[in-house]
Amino acid sequence: MAGSSGAPHNTVPRHSGNHTHAHPKVFFRLAAKNLTRYRRRTTITASAIAFGVAVFIAMASLLGGMVAEGDRNFSNYETGSAAVTAAGYWDEREQFPLDMLVEDGAALTEALETEGFAAAPRVAFRGELIVHYDPYPEDGSAHLGMYGIDPARDPEVFNLAESVTEGRFLEQDEHGILISAWLAERLGAEVGYPVTITTRTRDGFHQIMDLDIVGIYETPNPTVDRSSIFMPLETAEYYLELAGAVTAVHLRLPEQVPGAADLAPVRSALESAGFLNAEELELLGFNEMTADFAAAVELQDAVFRVILFLLATIAVVGISNTMLMAVLEREREIGMMRALGVRDREIGVMFMFEAAGIGLLGGIIGMLFGTAAVWYLTQHGIDYSAMLEGIEMDLRFDGVLYGVWSLGTTVSAAVGAAVLAGVVALLPVRRILRRTITESLRTH
Amino acid sequence: MIRVQDLHKEYIDGETHVRALRGVSLEIAKGEFISIAGPSGSGKTTLLNIIGCIDTADAGTVTIDDDTITGARKSDLVEIRRMKIGFVFQNFNLIPVLSAYENVAMTLSLLGLAESEIRERAMKMLAEVGLVGMEDRRPAKLSGGQQQRVAVARALVKDPLIVLADEPTANLDSETGESILKLMKSINERIGTTFVFSTHDQMVMEYADRLCRLHDGVIESDELRRSA
Repeated sequence: MAGSSGAPHNTVPRHSGNHTHAHPKVFFRLAAKNLTRYRRRTTITASAIAFGVAVFIAMASLLGGMVAEGDRNFSNYETGSAAVTAAGYWDEREQFPLDMLVEDGAALTEALETEGFAAAPRVAFRGELIVHYDPYPEDGSAHLGMYGIDPARDPEVFNLAESVTEGRFLEQDEHGILISAWLAERLGAEVGYPVTITTRTRDGFHQIMDLDIVGIYETPNPTVDRSSIFMPLETAEYYLELAGAVTAVHLRLPEQVPGAADLAPVRSALESAGFLNAEELELLGFNEMTADFAAAVELQDAVFRVILFLLATIAVVGISNTMLMAVLEREREIGMMRALGVRDREIGVMFMFEAAGIGLLGGIIGMLFGTAAVWYLTQHGIDYSAMLEGIEMDLRFDGVLYGVWSLGTTVSAAVGAAVLAGVVALLPVRRILRRTITESLRTH
Repeated sequence: MIRVQDLHKEYIDGETHVRALRGVSLEIAKGEFISIAGPSGSGKTTLLNIIGCIDTADAGTVTIDDDTITGARKSDLVEIRRMKIGFVFQNFNLIPVLSAYENVAMTLSLLGLAESEIRERAMKMLAEVGLVGMEDRRPAKLSGGQQQRVAVARALVKDPLIVLADEPTANLDSETGESILKLMKSINERIGTTFVFSTHDQMVMEYADRLCRLHDGVIESDELRRSA
């Protein structure tokens, strides 16, 4: 028989275009069994992934908490949901300008109220608070932001009235002020103590106010607590000679963070009443007013992403190393499977399932630990007060930062770990599959 | 059924060019029990690998069941291996995390058969190779001979055109090795499966109906010992 030749044959095998297909569950089962093959390695890798997922979930919770707390504190104590100001005022607000005003604050407020919007005018100005020995422990002064507020309307928009912890809230037209507990502690102030405020009128003349502390407040907004005192709007208006002008009229809308559509009715009402037509005034939404805070959050977010990247790198290196060792140790087995007719793609799928299994295991464990961490953070928070003492921050959270629940983040972290692990597994598998079957079969 | 014509294969081993096959031609008919014999480096494993579609020739043609495999697409070669060729390896090469049954059944799973058919055929084949009652044992709980029986069952369960066995008894003691040979021979006689196995063991050669001796990549002799 040796050396014989035959008739011409098909040059293309008859199987072309009619390939058999193994059910993926074959490889899923095999991957599941292989998970128990290297228990210690699987445990270590899954633990590393679990750590990363748990830290990610906890950090996302804290970041979410910080953003939510910041939004609440801005909205409840500084901005409301929206505000009407003189054009360009908001960008200059930290300079407390009195030449960029809403001239007829009362009329604007009433126009908004007529349309059913809760509105409260405020006057913001800078002044120096001066206290003297007796009744104070010593002489002292502080440059602060001062706010004239409408005692009747302000509680419709802001939560300041609910934050009074000693004394009482302001009354119309009285010569009284509210100071924060933080400031009171540092000045040695108590309810009933007198204060002197020096400032300048709208026209730039020096002005001195003699007022009494009628209440002490404490808000969760450290920026407000450390830099703001409040007095009745009429009192501020009188001393500053504003003739009815205010720096802003703030609004409370059903949506804490209103979008353009939510602001449309307000804009329409203002236009109907003739307030926005001359382009002297502008309507600002919450996002526009808190752009600085959003930038600070973005910075935090960037730091968070760097940490996330590092965690992902740990997971990738861990899973990659595990899978590389697995494929190297099983190269002959891979060669045998290819010889039996398992396609390269199917071997890739099998290792992807296997790595995804480790990733999912780590993800689920991480999800459990992360959930426990989030529970702790929502209940007890993390106390940064010692760290933040004396630090000026643009982040509106008090000493204790609480986490928030995010089911989406929690689940996506676990699923993401599984997907990432599965994808990463392809790299070492591809390396082995580049070798010929005979090379793989010769491996010892 | 299998026709090998003027097959050449050269590979590089370090800095040495090894001419593993130098114009090998061979025809194997259905139902043959043929041994490719020769010393190490004679090219017998290379020949088996090319016939088994897991290696490629530099020149020459191989046809299996009227399909020319030399020059065929990779995906078609996979299909031929999956459907038509069974392998028995020297090192058994069972998957350690699978039981004896699962190792055998996996071959059928690749064909996309129904679970019930897979179970029936795998159990029947395990019984055929004398492993009744050991279906659930993993390879580590089986002796070398039992593992090779599983490997034989795995190769045969899909009813291939040809079973290629590369030194199937090399890792077994002579008694166990002989029992494996007897098993393969009996299956060959009863079912008519074509067996091609490489060996340098005289005892293995004794079992072959046809003995093809390779030396330095050339067929030295092709001897029909008894009719299949």
